[in-house]
Amino acid sequence: MSPESARRAESLGYKNVKVFHDGLPAWKKGGHIIVSEAASLKDLIEKDMSFVLIDLRDAKDAGNGFIQGAVSVPMKELSASKDKFPADLSAPIVLYSDKNAEEAFKQVRSWGFKETSILNGGIDSWKKSGGKISAGKPGTNIVYVFKPRPGEISIEEFKTIAEKGAPDKLILDVRESDEAMHGIITGAVNIPADKLGERLGELPKDKEIIIHCVTGIRAEGAYDTLKAKGVKARFLNAVIQIDKDGKYEITKK
Amino acid sequence: MKKSKTLKLVIMAALAILITGQTAFSAEKPTIAPQCKQCHQPAKDVIRGTLVGISENFKTVQVATGKLVWVINYSDDLKLSGAEKISGIPKEKEVAVAFVEKDKVPYAVSLSVKPPATVPPEKIVSTDELLKLIASGPEKGGYVLLDSRPAPRYMEGHLPQAVSMPFDKFDSLKDTLLPADKEKLLIFYCGGVT
Repeated sequence: MSPESARRAESLGYKNVKVFHDGLPAWKKGGHIIVSEAASLKDLIEKDMSFVLIDLRDAKDAGNGFIQGAVSVPMKELSASKDKFPADLSAPIVLYSDKNAEEAFKQVRSWGFKETSILNGGIDSWKKSGGKISAGKPGTNIVYVFKPRPGEISIEEFKTIAEKGAPDKLILDVRESDEAMHGIITGAVNIPADKLGERLGELPKDKEIIIHCVTGIRAEGAYDTLKAKGVKARFLNAVIQIDKDGKYEITKK
Repeated sequence: MKKSKTLKLVIMAALAILITGQTAFSAEKPTIAPQCKQCHQPAKDVIRGTLVGISENFKTVQVATGKLVWVINYSDDLKLSGAEKISGIPKEKEVAVAFVEKDKVPYAVSLSVKPPATVPPEKIVSTDELLKLIASGPEKGGYVLLDSRPAPRYMEGHLPQAVSMPFDKFDSLKDTLLPADKEKLLIFYCGGVT
């Protein structure tokens, strides 16, 4: 998407356009700061997904109102609190404060939590966005139980459908058409994720739609689109590679 | 419904030829789709647009240039690039078809499928360069950092001080998000493999 955006900017007359081609995955891998927005945190709370929310302020401030579901780990106690953190390093961790939280990010990220982010604007932007504030004392123990994301299909079930087929299910490949050109699961239909809204009519009405892309990211977006339209669907939240004969390999993220 | 529409179009095209004495694909029918104009100039002998369909029985390819659809004949010696066989090209793919006119009907000479976008090395920013820019901030660093991914992905996690400009909303956001100064450094990024 970014090379195309850059091209468009150039066609508008911008003379100094560049692309950070390594993109977000490389940035994350390098352990650099990632910022998340209040809207995403709201979504996590509303969808009842598993994540860890850390209030880095002093206990006194946290006691005057904190974000729903937050656990209080004051900044000065953070480095000694490693044991409180979940064993699952893929747990999403959202940090917030009323000060700069970069140091806390680096600390948590150094423990191996790949999905760590700093809430942009801290508690103030949460309030501004209309987010709920809880009163009383926030908890001090982190509880994290992994839950599949809503709409996720298990790798095993996906494989069964892909191999044996199912009369009441259809596999939908939402990769770009040029990706699907180089190999697609036998019997699957390709509609690129960004075209799904306008091409809904091509889907059978009497089948559950099983969606995949390469990593599950576009597939989840497509799942949201279909769900909003009342279409029964699930998606594969794993990495899948398909060769030109339709043979595939699925690996957990 | 579709058939009768096609028939109507054919009749209208025939009428146009009768009345004006010209071929159907001269004056009004654009040879280039609006989205292709961002990078390509219109040409009389190349049709650029999205693939509507291929009929291997009738040996025709249909290419939409905006709302209008071209029906172009082809033969087995059609030169293909970006695809191994004509039946493997997915619908809605952006293609360019060079053609010649034979008996007032377009015949395809070559068909090329749009390759994935590539970025020349001098336009690539490395992580280290970007870290330095971000450390000084957009104002001091004199840049604007734009996230091309869909908005929910941006919300979930983005680079510090990046602005959300989803690729599919580019046109509607360009006036509000892009700076007036055309010399300003713009850096786009996205999610790599998704």
